[in-house]
Amino acid sequence: MKNKVSKISLLFILFLMFLAFVSHKLLTHFTSDNNSGTFHLIITLAIIMISGIIFNYTISKNNQRNNKIFDKLKRNNDEIRESNERYDIVAKATSDTIWDWKIQEDHFIWNKGIQGIFGYKKEDVGNTSKWWFDRIHPEDSIKMSIKLYSFIEQKTERWHDEYRFKCADGSYKYVFDRGFLVKDENGTAIRMIGAIQDITKQKEEEQRLKLLETVITQTKDSVIITESEKANKGIPKIVFVNPAFTEMTGYQSGEVVGKSPTVFMGRQSVKNDMQRLSQALRKKEEFKFETINHKKNGDEYWISFSMIPITNSEGEHSHWISMQRDITEEKHREKEREQLIRELTQNNKDLKQFSYITSHNLRAPLSNLTGLLNLMQDIPVENLELKEILNGFSTSTHLLNETINDLVKVVIIKDNPSIQKEEVLIKDVFENVFNQLSFLISLHKPILKIELEKVTILNINKAYLESILLNLFTNAIKYRSPKRTLRIFVSSKEVDDEITLIFKDNGIGIDMERNRDKIFGLYQRFHNYPDSKGLGLYLVKSQVETMGGSIQVESEVDKGTTFTLTFKK
Amino acid sequence: MLDLILCVDDDPITLMLCKMVIAKSSFAQEVVTAQHGEEALAYFDDLKLNNLGNDIARYPKLIFLDLNMPVMGGWEFLDEFAKPEYADVFKETRVIVLSSTIDPRDINKSKTYPMVIDFMSKPITKEMLEDLKKIF
Repeated sequence: MKNKVSKISLLFILFLMFLAFVSHKLLTHFTSDNNSGTFHLIITLAIIMISGIIFNYTISKNNQRNNKIFDKLKRNNDEIRESNERYDIVAKATSDTIWDWKIQEDHFIWNKGIQGIFGYKKEDVGNTSKWWFDRIHPEDSIKMSIKLYSFIEQKTERWHDEYRFKCADGSYKYVFDRGFLVKDENGTAIRMIGAIQDITKQKEEEQRLKLLETVITQTKDSVIITESEKANKGIPKIVFVNPAFTEMTGYQSGEVVGKSPTVFMGRQSVKNDMQRLSQALRKKEEFKFETINHKKNGDEYWISFSMIPITNSEGEHSHWISMQRDITEEKHREKEREQLIRELTQNNKDLKQFSYITSHNLRAPLSNLTGLLNLMQDIPVENLELKEILNGFSTSTHLLNETINDLVKVVIIKDNPSIQKEEVLIKDVFENVFNQLSFLISLHKPILKIELEKVTILNINKAYLESILLNLFTNAIKYRSPKRTLRIFVSSKEVDDEITLIFKDNGIGIDMERNRDKIFGLYQRFHNYPDSKGLGLYLVKSQVETMGGSIQVESEVDKGTTFTLTFKK
Repeated sequence: MLDLILCVDDDPITLMLCKMVIAKSSFAQEVVTAQHGEEALAYFDDLKLNNLGNDIARYPKLIFLDLNMPVMGGWEFLDEFAKPEYADVFKETRVIVLSSTIDPRDINKSKTYPMVIDFMSKPITKEMLEDLKKIF
């Protein structure tokens, strides 16, 4: 470059010299004064030389300055390019969406994040601040814009905000937006540049954690978190208690945090479980016990106390989570229940005693009476009045005997809730029953229709089933209608794991409207027949239920009665 | 007809009834009675004492036994009477439980004693004795 300047200067000098020489030649040609001409030439040449040197100096000086400026510009240029490159790389690397807002012109530029993160197409992205504001969730927009404008007006030093920003698909993302102002020389904000971070995941996690936290803060169970002993050398130290803890124990969080649970658990209360407790602590095992404890004000209460060891991410035991539930009321109820059971057991015992008395102490003298009456029958009695009295005496005694025998039967059934069961073929039972009823059957000649499934086997007590069928058959015969021939229809069917036995007659029936509740009651009679005692159906029901079955009845006056017996296979 | 039988019952009327029915149906020559198990055992002890060293020629071949008695009840008596000191001596003696209970558990329990041949409900009747005559 310098050479170029010198070359130009040299050419310039040579040219001027040549010009001076030519003009000197012409001048000497037309004038005669040779000496003065030569002298002038020398002076001119000297001037040219001097001016040439000055010229060269000035130009090279200037050139030097220019070069410096050029270098500086070049450097600046490089820096800008580099910075631009860096910006591009950073913009690519960061997940942040960057925006640039020329405030005065209201011109908005977004980087590619607006497409990648929020799903907008390039052509859909607006270039005004309105487009931005329109996509802020209505619930957040007012709060957000107040903060933003007070920042632009430079009332606040910093601006960052969280709000929900609408995606192209209409859903919202939680974002964290930070911005910086670019000011002109007057200090007026002319540009604002911001970076939007998608914090939806964090926000959702935060909300989830908050929700989970409410479990601890809102639950009625008291929750305590203690550090493991290892971290504390000795007794675990409380690091957290929830509000329910205060509610339950009366101790404020500040009173117990940093201390050992012995603050609120009396030595007395863990005395019984001390051994197991210390073992569980040592072995880092789950532990549970119930105990009486005392509140801060001394009130007694029952708690169910459980401890669960918690490990950190490295799998080391770090904390204990302990939950306590106030079970005072449950304990009281339990006590009441126990009391009730004791009373009931006692009552039951008394009743059993009573039934024993019935079967022995009443029956013993009664059997004497019967025996004596039997003897008396063989002795002829002359006195008619005495004979009548003795007859009445005999009838009453037999009636009393029957009643007591019946009662004893009931007592025996009731006293044997789990009687022996066996596999019984229904058909066999029917044969036995008919044998016993042969006299009644031949007397009244009912039409019997028995439809039993061949293999109907019941797992029941045979004697009971016989007694049940005997009762039902004698009832059917006893309460037959005088207007028509008695028909008895018995059928059985198996449904799933149940066997149903249906016993149907066309007798005089029972008024169900009036007697539905009484039909299986003890000493309930629905017809004034001399030999009806109101015991048969009571016995039937007792026996059916003792064998785990059930019995239903349907009846219509003067139409007939249907009993449905259901047994489990 | 049996020669000698023993009735054990705490109720004197039952005993009287027994004696009368037995006499009426000519079931036994002689009826001895005891009020409870201990008295009955004492009777057998006496029999042994009186026949020391000899075979006991005459002893009750049948006992009507009540269950519910003071001092010593029927079950306790049976437990004692089943022991060799009695069972080996009074080999032929059979027992009929004559009780006012009809509890099946009692009936089943009575079957566990080898010398008990029957369980009968009070009162004792001539018909019962007629049936028994077939056995003895």
